[in-house]
Amino acid sequence: MPKNILGREIPEFIEGYGETQPFMGASARKPEGNRAGPKLRATFGDCTSKVIPDLKAAIAASGLKSGMTVSFHHHLRNGDYVVNAVIDACAEMGIRDLTLFPTALFGVHKKLIEHIKSGVIRRIMGSVNGPIGQMVSEGGMDVPVVLRSHGGRPRAVVSGDVKIDVAFIAAPTADAYGNICGSQGKSACGSLGYAFTDAMYADCVVAVTDNLVPFPAAPVSIPQYYVDIVAVMDSIGDPAGIVSGTTRITRDPLRLLISKYASRLIEASPYFKDGISFQTGAGGISLAVTAFMKEAMKKRGVRGSFGLGGITGYFVDLLKEGYVEKLMDVQSFDLEAVKSIAENPNHIEISADWYANPWNAGTAVNMLDVVILGATEMDRDFNVNVNTEADGALLHGIGGHQDTAAGAKLTIISQPLLRGRIPCVVDKVYSVTTPGEVVDALVTEYGVTINPRRQDLIDACKEAGNVPLVSMDELIARAHEMCGPADPVETEDRIIGVIEWRDGTVIDVVRQLKKK
Amino acid sequence: MRLRRTMLYLPGNNPNMLLRGHLFAPDGLILDLEDAVAVREKDAARVLVRDVLKRGEFGSCEVTVRINGLDTEYWRKDLEMLVPLGRLDGVRAPKVDDAATVRLLDEALSEIEEKAGIEVGRIKIFCLLETAKGIFNTYDIATASPRVAAVIPGGEDLTADLRTNRSPEGTELEGIRRSVIVAARAAGVDALDTVFPRITDDEGLRRETEFIKQLGFDGKSVIHPNQIPIIHDVFTPTEKEIERAQKIVAAAKEAAERGLGAVQVDGRMVDAPVVKRALFTLTRAGLLEEGTEHA
Amino acid sequence: MKTAQAGTVESMDCLVTVSEAEPGTGLVLNLAGSSVARFSKAMEKAVRETLEGLGIRDLAVSVQDNGALDLVLKARLEAAVARLKEGGESA
Repeated sequence: MPKNILGREIPEFIEGYGETQPFMGASARKPEGNRAGPKLRATFGDCTSKVIPDLKAAIAASGLKSGMTVSFHHHLRNGDYVVNAVIDACAEMGIRDLTLFPTALFGVHKKLIEHIKSGVIRRIMGSVNGPIGQMVSEGGMDVPVVLRSHGGRPRAVVSGDVKIDVAFIAAPTADAYGNICGSQGKSACGSLGYAFTDAMYADCVVAVTDNLVPFPAAPVSIPQYYVDIVAVMDSIGDPAGIVSGTTRITRDPLRLLISKYASRLIEASPYFKDGISFQTGAGGISLAVTAFMKEAMKKRGVRGSFGLGGITGYFVDLLKEGYVEKLMDVQSFDLEAVKSIAENPNHIEISADWYANPWNAGTAVNMLDVVILGATEMDRDFNVNVNTEADGALLHGIGGHQDTAAGAKLTIISQPLLRGRIPCVVDKVYSVTTPGEVVDALVTEYGVTINPRRQDLIDACKEAGNVPLVSMDELIARAHEMCGPADPVETEDRIIGVIEWRDGTVIDVVRQLKKK
Repeated sequence: MRLRRTMLYLPGNNPNMLLRGHLFAPDGLILDLEDAVAVREKDAARVLVRDVLKRGEFGSCEVTVRINGLDTEYWRKDLEMLVPLGRLDGVRAPKVDDAATVRLLDEALSEIEEKAGIEVGRIKIFCLLETAKGIFNTYDIATASPRVAAVIPGGEDLTADLRTNRSPEGTELEGIRRSVIVAARAAGVDALDTVFPRITDDEGLRRETEFIKQLGFDGKSVIHPNQIPIIHDVFTPTEKEIERAQKIVAAAKEAAERGLGAVQVDGRMVDAPVVKRALFTLTRAGLLEEGTEHA
Repeated sequence: MKTAQAGTVESMDCLVTVSEAEPGTGLVLNLAGSSVARFSKAMEKAVRETLEGLGIRDLAVSVQDNGALDLVLKARLEAAVARLKEGGESA
């Protein structure tokens, strides 16, 4: 079987996916031709309202038919009602064989399993988590899922790899002519970044709102000229699941220790100077790294330029206190972030295309100095797996992992060496999400492990004198000694998941788990 | 000179903490078989602690075990099972009331060391003074055996015995801390402070640590890893202190090379105790390897 | 049938339950929990080694694992066996 540049076996043709382009290197593939585009449509003065109060009527008006592709965005996270409501309605209307193209799915969407079983959903292009991931891993879908990063997804859309027939956009606030705002209304979620490309490229765009306001709504995230239909629901989401309260920094000592080492690495790096930009996300370790970095910035009088990605209240404080000049927000995690994006002009709403798409004239991740990311496992070559769990089941989406790693000057994976008995370093990762060529360091409770191709960082850490360095060989030997040899994951030949690199080449495939 | 700024308690029946405690780099570890272990789990904890000691991975920490009280049926078993492994640096004994208790422990240790072929006297004793009587006898306790490395006033048990309770201000422990310091210094052993129980009160911990450091304590017992960096920070000398210590050490070295007895630094006479103190400052600052000899 | 337990289901620990078995039964092993998917062979080896060291042939062992390393699994098994020998409880 043909292998890609990482030695992963990738068939030339995958049933339900098509011909494959093997991964050739992080920035090897160059696009050709022009952007794809949606259907042209015209609207004149006789149309002054696009409101169709009933969801089923809106779906019917959108022209959605069996076999088409529907897209959703995930800013309502685990509070989302829209995906389930739309697919329930489709099922009742007799629509089948849909391709679901979400920016991400959450636990709340496990209801979709019944629609997968009954054939309403035939295919998923997007992350499959929790119970859906388990079901897919055990062979529960006929067509493999396609996993793309936050940048790879808009790339697939603008290049025409994926054609969206109808985009359903959960709209916390909308007016009758389709101007959408994410930061107002009872279901406010802040940035609507992931929905922009869908709005621009779908043949039909349906805004689904529970807060219809008089025209014109302002501020505007997605403007009226992209939106065909405004549907109204009583509630598009549960606020408790949409945004969290105050995001707190972990008190878990192990995570704090790892955070401390990571922040020392950043401080020792050549990027720790005025103008530093960083993305740390909302995870326990990441947030604590930000806190330690803030201390260091204060001590050394360093001022940053921007914070990127998913934004928390902690980043909002950094902005307010002058540690960063701007926030570029593709997803607002908590109430503070939602409030800030509505009020502060230096808190900028950016699209996924702007954030991470490698195939445009310049994406935000390219300007990023430092990113802190997680992993389920990493191997000798610093390849990272975030998609499959230790038992080989699909469990996590890619998120911005590939994109930020590829763009940032310093990509740090922070992860405890052991989760129970399961080590995060292995000889060879079970599936590759992000190649070692764009990963610079791993930080565990045992210290900092730097990719040997970054001798400059190794030297910088040695000079700093307070960064405990541990080589990958030592770390893997330690993991072996503590955990013992792992049994291999037993699989069938059938491919149930295709992991695309952000440029659309196939970096790895995931196979069906053998029945136990 | 062994740094004992922080000695971290690890519950003896908790594999997670026993295996990971050293990663937080306290100066010492206390594998706890006493209060942290329920009576019905004493047997299982002893087996677990034994195997963790056998594995022996504790970074550069001083490794001690808090055994069960000498008034219980468990303490001899604790010692018999753990001392022969040869990995322990010390034993922390709870509720030491008088010199006789120390001597009893000393004899038991000697017997086991001899049988196991371990250098007799190797295992140090850390005495927890958890009663009024123990506090009253501090000096006798500290001098009852050359094994005694430190005396440690208790917290909850002690205040209960004093018929009071622990307050945020620590009024009830103030006199005790002062008297323990005097006795410890007179006996030539370390004085280690009791734990700070409010694990999320970082400011309170910092205040208390600053206070006990000023009294003269060498360190503090720790019940949560997050307390370690705060205490180390308090005990880390300031840049000014380091600078002065470096000057003193350099001057002393120069004087020794030139065969002079006494030297002056910044217009003040520097004698042997001052040099010793300066070396200690540099050790605390992490600028000298622990245990290395300095001329 | 006598039975005994040692350990907990806290992180990095395991709860080991042992029960007497008829002579000639050998080891009857039941593994459950977070490590089993990838470490069942290593876990079985740890159990067999421990029982061999204790000179026990016939025993039913059930492990509810939450990420215990071999060292912990072995210590818990040893403690459970000791408790069984001291009488255990009737199940």
